[in-house]
Amino acid sequence: MENTTARALTTTVGRRSFLKMAALGSVFGATSSFASEKVTRAATEEEVKDPFPGSKKIKTICTSCSVGCGVIAEVHNGVWVRQEVAQDHPISLGGHCCKGADMIDMVRSEVRLKYPMVKENGQWKRLSWDEALNRIAKKLNELKQKDGSDAVQFLGSAKMSNEQAYYFRKFAAFFGTNNIDHQARI
Amino acid sequence: MTNSFGDIQNAKSIFIIGCNPAVNHPVGFGHILKAKERNNAKIIVIDPRFTKSAAKADYFAQIRPGTDIPFVYGMLHIIFKNGWEDKKYIEDRVYGMDEIRAEAAKWTPQVVADVTGVSAETLMEITTVYAKNSPGTLLWAMGLTQHTIGTGNTRIAPILQMALGYMGKAGGGTNILRGHDNVQGATDMGCLSDTLPGYYGLVEGSWKYYARMWGVEYDYIKSQFKDASWMGKPGFTLARWWAGVLAGKPGEDAIENAGTNLKALVVMGCGITSTSQNLKIQQGLDNLELLVIADPFVNEAAILTNRKDNLFILPSATQFESSGTVSATNRSAQWRYKVVEPLYESKADQDIMFELAKRLGFYEEYTRSMMMRLKSDGHLEMTPDKKTFQWPEDATIEISRTLRTIGMMGWTPERIKKHTDNWHMFDEITGAGKGDMKGEYYGLPWPCWSVKHGGTPNLYNVDVPVSEGGMGFRNNFGLEKDGVSLLSGKGSAPIGSKVDGGYPEITKENIEKLIGRTLSAAEKDLCGANWKTCTSGKLVDLALEAGLTPYGNAKARAVVWNFPDRIPLHREPLYSPRPDLVEKYPTYADKANHFRVTTKYATIQKEKDYTKEFPIVMTTGRLVTMMGAGLENRASKYICALTPEMFCDIHPELAQKNGIKNGHMMWVHSPAGTKIKVKAKYSYTVLPGMVFLPFHFGGFMQGVDMTGNFPAGTKPYASGECANTVVSYGYDIITQIPASKAGLCRVEKA
Repeated sequence: MENTTARALTTTVGRRSFLKMAALGSVFGATSSFASEKVTRAATEEEVKDPFPGSKKIKTICTSCSVGCGVIAEVHNGVWVRQEVAQDHPISLGGHCCKGADMIDMVRSEVRLKYPMVKENGQWKRLSWDEALNRIAKKLNELKQKDGSDAVQFLGSAKMSNEQAYYFRKFAAFFGTNNIDHQARI
Repeated sequence: MTNSFGDIQNAKSIFIIGCNPAVNHPVGFGHILKAKERNNAKIIVIDPRFTKSAAKADYFAQIRPGTDIPFVYGMLHIIFKNGWEDKKYIEDRVYGMDEIRAEAAKWTPQVVADVTGVSAETLMEITTVYAKNSPGTLLWAMGLTQHTIGTGNTRIAPILQMALGYMGKAGGGTNILRGHDNVQGATDMGCLSDTLPGYYGLVEGSWKYYARMWGVEYDYIKSQFKDASWMGKPGFTLARWWAGVLAGKPGEDAIENAGTNLKALVVMGCGITSTSQNLKIQQGLDNLELLVIADPFVNEAAILTNRKDNLFILPSATQFESSGTVSATNRSAQWRYKVVEPLYESKADQDIMFELAKRLGFYEEYTRSMMMRLKSDGHLEMTPDKKTFQWPEDATIEISRTLRTIGMMGWTPERIKKHTDNWHMFDEITGAGKGDMKGEYYGLPWPCWSVKHGGTPNLYNVDVPVSEGGMGFRNNFGLEKDGVSLLSGKGSAPIGSKVDGGYPEITKENIEKLIGRTLSAAEKDLCGANWKTCTSGKLVDLALEAGLTPYGNAKARAVVWNFPDRIPLHREPLYSPRPDLVEKYPTYADKANHFRVTTKYATIQKEKDYTKEFPIVMTTGRLVTMMGAGLENRASKYICALTPEMFCDIHPELAQKNGIKNGHMMWVHSPAGTKIKVKAKYSYTVLPGMVFLPFHFGGFMQGVDMTGNFPAGTKPYASGECANTVVSYGYDIITQIPASKAGLCRVEKA
């Protein structure tokens, strides 16, 4: 069992197959000497029906391509715990592609950038938002004074919401340049 | 998209050229398969590769990359010769089709076969099927756009639709499949160097309108720019920003950028390594004075660069940790509800912008309009007693009252939320609402002219009233050209229109004549000069009452007299595999000051016969598992298990001729002198003379593993060479989109 678990964890597996293995593990686990009635409380009928009591199901939209598929995100105590397809969505009709099926990993992936960083003397260094923004703004202000606003290029995103994209365009205008673009160019 | 995925179910034939929806829009492709199942629609795929979409097609033509214009002219040749065109439609609704007819006459099936590689028989079979199965819908994506003649490609496709009368119909239209989830929206929002939001041009009038809608003085905005002239000049683009950094170095193109090079780059959520000429991008990054990248993951630009200082990476929240509207490829809005609060120290994009604006000294001015409201007379005022703005709703409202050109006036937060909350109340094919949602189309596809309007599911459809989404073509280029009227003909106005035929866009000056009544003084006071800047909405209301489209009713232009090519013309790629055709179909002259940088065309094409050293055609594209630069998908273990490494699709004959074994490493060399080391994957989807590279990988540069540059704990689960390292010089003559689809290369065993 231990070998199987170790293999399961070191091989790259999908979320579903991992959950299956985890479930399998608990079945075997119940027969092992570690498990007894004293440690593993019997699940209530309610818990069997719903492992995340009080969770909320939020209708949202896939962030992958432009089809605009519905996503049902289940949130429990502020944690996104499960993702389901939207059976009644008029475009996606219960469908998901392999990217859409894994939207939950956009949030929970372990390799996310977790805090602001700066590269100095070739080394990455953690710093606070305040320090990062102060230093960035100082340099941008300097360039604007010395070389003019057109010394800066802004590149926004087709992954932003409309409101963010609009405010990004507006940002460039208030900074004083038309050097602004995003992925639609490609 | 002029129509929608659901509407494709109404088509009798589906013409797919330069896109691969089975892979790139898999869930949308379901609607195409349903059209085939339920409607017996014929699926036609034109592509250099036997794609997964081609595998589902009834007819397939394997075209040489970059020869779409000859192929479509070949179709038009056959259509005109047999009299299959929709003569009344052309007469009433199209300007300049005669010039198209003259050009099409040159493209006999035999000439087309020589240029495109598609046999005369296949061309005739496909043309017959498409012309005889009405209505036909036409789909494209980057397979058409990413060429030096990309703009010509995107013009010839609607010209084909207009010749057959397939434009402005359920089951017809030109359905351009956007890539990322909000390419449509971010484009509408003017996140571009050549427009303001809503496609308002960079002219003084538009800037003055925006200053008014932003609640600031025009002179305030002007004072931020070097001078007013630079407000009117398109800026650098995503495709060539690096030229602005490198200008002045030997061999680099000249720039015109207010007397300065680019010195700082601020990137938010953009995989800037998925364009072309990756080595240039690296050099551009290396030579900046400041590089700032905000992204939920470590953008690969941050590890591609060799710079040692002044490189900031900021953790953006994902879109699930924020909320707002997103526009699908069919122009419809959905409310993307926030799922969880931003994790770790990540911040939503708008908060990063607001914090920077505070430190740059314009936060109050920048956000003021969200503290304002529109009075019924069309003037803005500070909202009484408002202490703070509410994100994103106040921004949604600002967009709705400002972006009139594309009809966003009906996009209120309440309505969009109601649609998303009730998505089960809408029909999958028409998008029409049921029950409480009756009279509205899902997501209020723009133009949505007012808070009472239900959206426009199919553009340019005159078979329904304007109030139900009807419209003609936009009057945007004057009333006549060389003595020929640009307004549409009699009988071609939307049903219920007060004017039976063409009419100009609505202005204060012409409104009374068009609606046939005199306005009261009070009504007149509410009218702005032009419907696009009439913020009271009075002109639009008056137009809708009379069944008129605010932007007028004009002919579509087959001839665009202000473009380098009046009509779409075939021009060989800069790196043509057919040097014998270059003289007959040469590229453009070099273009100075194209988005601030000189862009070479003829200089490169004429330099030499590239085929001697680089005899293999190279094209790039997507995989079903990834988007764009692919970094966020490669942050998923499960996705990486499906596509763990970079590869090259190569025909076994070509591979064996070069001693390349299946699954072994190979080099791909570009005419620019760059190279990538990738795994060979034998495939019959490509012809023996070409290779295919997916463009989603990164982290390696010309055989060198750069992934050691990732900060600890941020390296994605898969890395590899980026196809764009071997995508060479070449940009569209109008939009400057990189020409990535028709390249040349040499392959070699590694």
